[in-house]
Amino acid sequence: MTPTLPQPRADFLKVQDFNFYYGKKQALFNVNMEIPERQVTAFIGPSGCGKSTLLRNFNRMNELIDGVRHEGQILLNGRSIYDKKIEVIALRRSIGMVFQKSNPFPKSIYENIVYSMRIAGINGKSVLDETVERSLKGAALWDEVKDRLNESALGLSGGQMQRLCIARAIANRPEVLLMDEPCSALDPIATAKVEDLIHTLKKEFTIVIVTHNMQQATRCSDRTAFFYLGKLIEFDDTQKIFSNPSQKQTEDYITGRFG
Amino acid sequence: MAHILSTFEEALRDLRNNALMMASLTERNLENARKGLFERDEDWSNTVIADDEEVDTLEVQVDREGIDIMLKYHPLASDMRNVIATMKFSVNLERIADQAVNIARRSRKLMARPAVPETAELEPLYSFATKMLKDAIQGFADNDLELARGLKDRDRTLDDMNRAYAEKVTDRMPNDPSAIPTYMDLIFMARFLERVGDQAKNIGEDTIYAISAEETRHQSRPIV
Amino acid sequence: MSTVSNTTEPVDFFTKDKGGRSVARSFGNKVLNVICVGLAFLTLIPLLSIIYLLFHKGLPLLTWSVFTELPPAAGQIGGGFGNAILGTLLMVGIALVIATPFGILSAIYINEYAPASRLSNAVRFVAKLLTGIPSIICGVFAYAVIVLTTGGFSAWAGGFALAILILPTILLTAEQALIGVPKAYREASYGLGGTNFQTIWRIVLPDSLPAMMTGIMLAVARAAGETAPLIFTALFSQFWINSLKEPTASLSVLIYNFSTLPFDHQINMAWTASLVLVLLVTAANISAQVVFRKK
Repeated sequence: MTPTLPQPRADFLKVQDFNFYYGKKQALFNVNMEIPERQVTAFIGPSGCGKSTLLRNFNRMNELIDGVRHEGQILLNGRSIYDKKIEVIALRRSIGMVFQKSNPFPKSIYENIVYSMRIAGINGKSVLDETVERSLKGAALWDEVKDRLNESALGLSGGQMQRLCIARAIANRPEVLLMDEPCSALDPIATAKVEDLIHTLKKEFTIVIVTHNMQQATRCSDRTAFFYLGKLIEFDDTQKIFSNPSQKQTEDYITGRFG
Repeated sequence: MAHILSTFEEALRDLRNNALMMASLTERNLENARKGLFERDEDWSNTVIADDEEVDTLEVQVDREGIDIMLKYHPLASDMRNVIATMKFSVNLERIADQAVNIARRSRKLMARPAVPETAELEPLYSFATKMLKDAIQGFADNDLELARGLKDRDRTLDDMNRAYAEKVTDRMPNDPSAIPTYMDLIFMARFLERVGDQAKNIGEDTIYAISAEETRHQSRPIV
Repeated sequence: MSTVSNTTEPVDFFTKDKGGRSVARSFGNKVLNVICVGLAFLTLIPLLSIIYLLFHKGLPLLTWSVFTELPPAAGQIGGGFGNAILGTLLMVGIALVIATPFGILSAIYINEYAPASRLSNAVRFVAKLLTGIPSIICGVFAYAVIVLTTGGFSAWAGGFALAILILPTILLTAEQALIGVPKAYREASYGLGGTNFQTIWRIVLPDSLPAMMTGIMLAVARAAGETAPLIFTALFSQFWINSLKEPTASLSVLIYNFSTLPFDHQINMAWTASLVLVLLVTAANISAQVVFRKK
């Protein structure tokens, strides 16, 4: 029986007066939002609107690029992610990320999943075995690969590779799972499997998903945020956004009257 | 601003036009049924019964077009509300057209028997119901929220008018027992008109939802 | 303007192309084809001739004594060049031991740590310059740095000269090997909380190893065959190696020496030594490919 989790926070991931710059170019303008715990939040908007930029700020991946700077705050469970006392490494280990194009390491399936544990210094076989089984089951991939854990991950199909990347991301039991257009390179069946997975995962993880697919946002998410030109235009329950949005820009975008 | 997909824009337009064509046919049929009833002219009643097929065909077409749009374009927000409202609009119109047919059929029976003065007393109800339908259609066509909202109260008024008429006619029955079949038919007519009012009210509710996403159905009356 | 035929006849694709243009155009195409294929064959000719000549002239004297005996004096017959083989192996080995760490670690710095910095740009620029350095300059430099300061010719000096020669190549090919590792792998590692070091050590280096080996093998082949750097550093020796601080024999210098002598036997020995050199380099190449192949 799963232990009862404490009451979910409505502001588990909180963005406060957040501005972000790539060198001289400003990419995010005064973003304020509160992302609730253990729900799926979708970011939608046209290309270049800043949704991926904001997503990649949650685990400070943007800092790998030269010349970026930010103003404002991002808080995870009440603590600033820019706190000098937190190492970026530790932050990234508590936040899992799945990328648009699946990127498993050129290693075995087993080694892919335990990578995050090995780099944390955990090498005990039984712990690793348990992690692999738990993560693969959590990613609905266990049955398909349990007999070939030592084979190269690159031999899997596209949909399997993406689910492997999800398993890898949840191996360390992160607090938040970030997904950047995870299904855009997958066929409809693989997409459906991943979406089904998201429904299961949200019981345990807070999920933020960037997507271009409006139907996917309606199916998968509880709350949806619409971005345009670096600004957060509207953020509300998914049902409301897609049946009766408050802002005209939101309405124009989702009905296809943009441009 | 039009949709980026011009085929989407065209499909929405065609759907709406078909529904509005259905509306004008329904209005015409109700008007023809009125002439058949009050002028005791069988030709008009027969026309109504024959023309109902047109309305039925259009209903099927609107339904099919609506589903096609849902499948192809996955409409969202106001588009989705409009498509669904249009499909429901056509269902309500088809039921109103059925009431016109009911009126026409019963008119033919009435004509076979001697006329009674109470028939003419049905005119106010008929005009009221016809006006409700006209306004419901216009509210839909013009996206007129005020017009659509007003239909709810008018439907209550029509209900009262129907009840009053039925009471009056029932009271007359002991005076002229031979005319009781005719009086029964008249009471039925009033019922049909009352139903027309109900359908018009439904059209109003769907129009309100399409425009403002407000849910106004089945809201009970305040207890006075 | 192309003359598109607007008749309803089907266009004959075999003699005319879509615009109804004449056959002369595709004739030009064929001529170019023939020239390219012809030249490709022509380039094979010198390569094949060299291989043929090597085997034809070198094979007769290829016996076990080549590996076990010392070089014959002028006028003598028999003997071998075991010490030269050993010397080449040793000095190329020394060169690799010196140049490989420098090359690979520098490549890691300029590609992984600070790719856009002034230092990295300078390193790249200089490395590219140095790939074209005349090999004799390496020899002169090593002479000044090692031979003059230690007071004698030695295998160390020879190895050092070869190291200078191959360092730019190793560095640049290692950099290319690192560039060849998809960015996505690094991103995944960083996303999982990996440090720079862990990412490089666990992901980038292992994946780039086959490509790096290719670069190193290129360097080995060049180093093994150069004569100029060894002439004033390792000189030559008629005897087996006692220590690395002495003048040392090498295949390349042996070939140079013997081929200029007026004696047939020595000249034939030079051919055999050439064959052995080529076979050694090829063997090294193949075994490296086999050991470090991409799984």
